[in-house]
Amino acid sequence: MKRSSPWKRLLVSLLVWSIVLVVIFPLIWMILTSIKPQTELFRIPPSFWPGEITFEHYATLFKETPFPQYLRNSVIISASTTILVIVVAVAGAYSLTRFAYPGRDRLAILVLFTYLLPSVVLVLPLYLTMVKAGIANTLSSLVIAYTTFALPYALWLLRSFMASMPEELEWAALVDGASRTGAFIDVVLPQTLPGIISTALFTFILAWNEYFYALILVNSDEARPVTTGVITMLVSSFNIEWSLLMAAAVAMSLPLIIIFVFLQGYLVKGFATTGTKG
Amino acid sequence: MGALLIAPTVLIFVVVIAYPLVYAIYLSFFSIYTPTLSGPWVGLENYRVMLKSGEFWGGLGTTIVWTVGTLTLQIVFGVAMALLLNLNFYFRALARSLVLFPYFVSTVVAVLVWRWMFNDVYGILNRALVVSGLSDMPLDWLGSMPNAMISIILVGAWKYFPFVVIAVLARLQTIPDELYEAARIDGAGPFSRFLDVTLPQLADVLVVIVLLRTIWDFKEFDLIYLLTGGGPVSATETLPLLVYQQAFGMNAMGRASTYAIGIMLVLLIFMILYLNRTRRERGTAA
Repeated sequence: MKRSSPWKRLLVSLLVWSIVLVVIFPLIWMILTSIKPQTELFRIPPSFWPGEITFEHYATLFKETPFPQYLRNSVIISASTTILVIVVAVAGAYSLTRFAYPGRDRLAILVLFTYLLPSVVLVLPLYLTMVKAGIANTLSSLVIAYTTFALPYALWLLRSFMASMPEELEWAALVDGASRTGAFIDVVLPQTLPGIISTALFTFILAWNEYFYALILVNSDEARPVTTGVITMLVSSFNIEWSLLMAAAVAMSLPLIIIFVFLQGYLVKGFATTGTKG
Repeated sequence: MGALLIAPTVLIFVVVIAYPLVYAIYLSFFSIYTPTLSGPWVGLENYRVMLKSGEFWGGLGTTIVWTVGTLTLQIVFGVAMALLLNLNFYFRALARSLVLFPYFVSTVVAVLVWRWMFNDVYGILNRALVVSGLSDMPLDWLGSMPNAMISIILVGAWKYFPFVVIAVLARLQTIPDELYEAARIDGAGPFSRFLDVTLPQLADVLVVIVLLRTIWDFKEFDLIYLLTGGGPVSATETLPLLVYQQAFGMNAMGRASTYAIGIMLVLLIFMILYLNRTRRERGTAA
């Protein structure tokens, strides 16, 4: 397969790329719609490429809608969830891979089990408990709810990463007189850092994209993240402004695009671990 | 030390997962009025209703149609795309990462774009249909049956097939070239090489993909709720939507909890299959 002629390669390229373009067409269409003047959407015949490029919808989005507030909430919720989950999961994964104690393997399977658990089972009791405790409708209620799926996920991923790390260096450090904590900070942490970063990125994306818990646990703009926020904009508008909504969709995907462009290597690494080892 | 490090994990698991899980089972024995969050003990009444009323079974049927439909397409598109992306072509790395976008983008984003494309008058799909002469009437993509079910299945396939692509592509790259060489020497054409070499090598990873995606598609809420809301009437109301509807539409939180446990019991089969498989792989690897 490696010795194909340039012509064959060109032909294959055309074929594969036309399919790739069809697959990502909705995303291209989203961007194109967001930079067209509203009038162009309703013209007959419709325009494909914008006749005129405008950023007015983005300006409207950030100046005249609660979108900035939603964005702020999402940043706080996702960052808090990620930090909390990573700190707990790094310690937990280290314990699961480097220490022997009764029930350890059962605990590991339990982690995987909770990862597969449908959130629809947990959401009602969580809602009830949070309303009664008076913390529903707050940013922290969502951070708590998000740990239910983010922690098992991060633990499982980090456990795979740490299990694939050779233990020899660590033993060497311990033999040289380093404390367990010292060996962890000097040897384990630098070695697993790529794994930790990609787990953190995935956790952040999971929290950023979450909709279901946010729909049920939060119903005020003060705590609403972008996902339910943008849907509120859709439902409450009298006249659906698609270009404004597409601008919102692009804006809320921006963190994702940034991660993709600059940190792609980490994502691929993380996916190879989850995708194949499960 | 090991116990100390795992302690925060265990504590969080108990508080946010184990406790709610037990609480969910406890709730299923009550008739709870959602606005007041209280109500009387009714014993097994909710379970009797679940098993006897057509609602749960109807929802289960809808969920199965959705899951089987979207999963089949995900596998077919996913394997085909992985085979294509494994070929030698220009800008391969870029193509590989672009294809992942539907999977990583929020369901909310995906749904907004598709609803815009499905728009009855101004949506690009209807415009393309009418302009190309394929149809002289705009299609009602989400508001009538069977269109609504087909539409959610298609959008689901688009959103989740990259998961299959990544897993299959990773596995394809580990198939030794010698196997293909040997098959070629034996006179096997491209198609029989796929059937006799590629497919058997992919079998293991495909089983894992099917188990995981069955669980995830079965419990899908966001995509269906945001595209059709379960409609028209209740034609696309899968079980997770039914739970939501019971809890916040009918204000019957106890019954909703019972239905949620029903979902968990169905999924338990697939979860146990998957867990067993993972444990076995771990056993042979060690």
